[in-house]
Parts: sequence; C-alpha cells; structure tokens
Amino acid sequence: MNRPSDNPDFRQSTATPPPRFGGETSSSTLLNERLAALPRHDRDAMLEQSTTVELKLGEVLAEAGQPAAYAYFPVGGIISLLASVDKKTTLEVALVGFEGMLGLSLALGAEGAPLRARVRAAGTALRIDAATFKRLLENSPEMRADLNRYACAQLAAIAQTAVCTRFHLVEERLARWLLMIHDRAGSDHLELTHGLLAEMLGVRRSGITTAAGVLRQRGFIKYTRGDITIVDREGLEAASCACYRIVR
Amino acid sequence: MQNRLLAALPPDESARLDPHLTLVPMTQGMVIDDAEDHLYFPVDCVVALLYELSDGASAEISLVGNEGVAGIGLSIGGIPTLNRAVVQTAGHAQKVRATVLHEEFNRDDKLQRLLFGYTRALFAQMAQTAACNLSHPVHQRMCRWMLLTLDRVVSDRLVMERDLVASILGVPTHEVDDAVAKLARLGAVSGSRSQMTVLNRPQLERLCCECYALVKHESERLLHPVSHHKLRSII
Repeated sequence: MNRPSDNPDFRQSTATPPPRFGGETSSSTLLNERLAALPRHDRDAMLEQSTTVELKLGEVLAEAGQPAAYAYFPVGGIISLLASVDKKTTLEVALVGFEGMLGLSLALGAEGAPLRARVRAAGTALRIDAATFKRLLENSPEMRADLNRYACAQLAAIAQTAVCTRFHLVEERLARWLLMIHDRAGSDHLELTHGLLAEMLGVRRSGITTAAGVLRQRGFIKYTRGDITIVDREGLEAASCACYRIVR
Repeated sequence: MQNRLLAALPPDESARLDPHLTLVPMTQGMVIDDAEDHLYFPVDCVVALLYELSDGASAEISLVGNEGVAGIGLSIGGIPTLNRAVVQTAGHAQKVRATVLHEEFNRDDKLQRLLFGYTRALFAQMAQTAACNLSHPVHQRMCRWMLLTLDRVVSDRLVMERDLVASILGVPTHEVDDAVAKLARLGAVSGSRSQMTVLNRPQLERLCCECYALVKHESERLLHPVSHHKLRSII
C-alpha cells in the first residue's frame, strides 16, 4: 500500500509544486487535483490501489493506438500528449500535470490510447492498473462526472493548440509553453533541452534556438545546455500569446 | 438518411429521446453558439467546429457530419467547450435541448457509450488538425478538409463560399483562390470562386498530407467498435 503520507519520496517530490487544491483534508494537498476532487471514500480506494512511481524524463507512458495498461495521476512532473506531424516531427497538443490524469481513454470506455504520452518533466505519479481503475470508476459517479468535465477541458486545450499553432509565432508559443511548465514545476529552473522543446512545439531545433535567443536577449530567461531558468516571469507573460491566459 | 449516433440507439432509448428531437434546416453559414444550450445531430449537413482566439483569429478544429454531434461538451460534461460552430454544407439536423441530452447521458446507457466513442474520435481528429495546421501548406490542408467533407456528404460537388472556406482554413481569401487554382491545375478539382467539383478523388488523396488518412483510420477504429465487441462476445 502506498499512501502519500507513508512515502518519503512522495513528500519530497510534492514539497515544491503549488498546492492549489482546495481539499477538505490536509492530506489532499499532497495529491493530484483530480484525486483531491473526489469524495474521501473514493479517494481512499484509489490511493489504496495505486502505486507511487517515478516519471523519468523522456519515458514513453503510452503509444497511440496501443492498449493503455495504467492510468497515471501526476503529483509532480509533466506528461506531453503528442500528435505526429510527419515521420520526424511531433507536436504537443495537450499536457498532463498535477491538475490532470493520463488515461482518459479508459474513462471514455476505450482500451487504446489516442495519443503518444511522454514524460517531459521528471516527477512522481500515482499509477493504477487499467482494470482496477475502471472498476473503481464504475463505482464512483463523482469521479465519472469529474473526468467527463476533464475530458471537455482537454478537448478545449487541444482546440486552443490547433489554432495557436496556426497563427502564433514560435517565440510566443515558446513563452507560453515555458509558463505552463513553470506553473507545474514549482521551480524557476526547468530541465529542458532544445530537442525536447522542438518535439513539443513541432518545429526544428534551429527554430527553438532562434526563439529562445530572442527571449534571452530580452532578459526573460537564461539558459545553458539542458537547463532553462525563468528570470522575468512578467516579461515572459507579456511575450507569450494570449492562449496562455485561456488554457494554463 | 439519419444521424448515425441516433440510429444506433436501442428502441427504449430512442423512444425516450425522440419526442425531444426537432428536425431543423441548417443553412450554409449559420452559426451555432454554445450559449444557445442546444445540441445538433447532423443528418445530411456538415458543421465545422471553429475555435476562435481572443484576438479574433479562428480556424477549423474538426468537422461534424452524420457520424457525430455538435456540442459534445454540453452532452458529456454539461459544459460548453467549443466556442463556435458554423454550417459549411447545408442540410438538416436533429436539434435537442442540452439538459435533456445530458440527463439521458447520465443514465449510463448506450447513448453514453456512443458519445464517449465520438469524444475519442474528436480527440484524434482535433489533435491531427493541430499538427496539420502547424506545418502543412494551404493546398494540402484544403485537400484534407475536402476529403473529410466528401466523406460526410453524398455528392462530389462542394458548394462553398470562399470567405467561409477562408475562415475554416484560417487563411486570407486569396490563399484559398491560390490553393483551388493549384488543385485545379493538378487535375483534382474544377472550380470557380463559389463552387468546387471534385474530378479525381484518388488524385486529391495523393496530393493530401497524411493527416486525412490518419484521421479517417482513427475515426473508423473509434466509432465502429461495435462489430469488434460483438465478435468478442461471440467468442
């Protein structure tokens, strides 16, 4: 059994992320927002059946079209949902952090994942196997209603991305992405390579280098190889497209 | 012709829903607002879901024909998600009040499974549209959009206002003209400013980016799991 309070790794990994959930118990502040939203009985059942796992940078948690073996509720860390642009390029169409869950397709009655899911900020998640998750979901109308709303929010996020990628400059989109990661990372230092950013934004690495150069020149960020530091968050907000304020 | 989601309902669910359905004409260019509190199940029309940014820029994120429903957020989450939908091919739709459908959805029955399946297909289509909007040239995006439209209508003739096409593809009208001219030159379509006829569908498919095939394949996999389940239950 892996209750958050029993697990030192869990505590450590959640020490920094913003505990934004307004749960009624103190333990719920350690949790993922989707789990925190559940009635206590349902939440306890989920915690009892789940295992705390590390999300390793770059790890692929689901492949498009392949059966999803687990549902993940991130506590720290971020998972990218990636669509393929062509054989070499992918685009992050939505992300999953402590506010969400990976495995919506299970809640929507499917076995296969719709998109590739890849860890793009290391952290921790509560993992529960697909069959158990479906069984618990069956018994919790509250969780079903919550995840249906979450599905709508994810659809809206994808829609926003679809239009954002059509109209906005790479540097505006990069600023937006850095802010979204910053919101979920709880630290000003983001472990991000240009290659990983290129994969998320669906552009060539050289496009990222140019856009990051502009943001650095304006004093919003600093970076060394594989590490970006947010220096001026307000400046970054001004440089990002308005999409950031709509889908955070 | 019937909407395929409604047609797949068992008799008892149909009997409950039917009194609340109204067959309404859908004219080209008609805007469906989420705030309207109704959902539309297209029968023979095609609706483009548009997403509008705060600066007014908008583009298509998916198409809905008789395989789906416009207003999925209202039906599954009870909340509106997409801020604008516009009728791109005239026809008819079954209109139903959102509260009625949400209540029926909450019975955890066949309608729920059908709408979940459609939601998954929408995920796939929207994600691919995002990727396509990012990097593919206008004429290829137009091919994708034409093919997805053709799959949802009985005719091979698309009657289109160029302004509407421009707003759907999120490009200036002159880029629509250029793309039509290019596709005409390559023998895929013949077209004037208001009407396009598809002359050679295989050519259109060849000229298209892979996004059309990906969306079509995913939609079929996600929307027709029925035969799959039947097979399994027999085994």
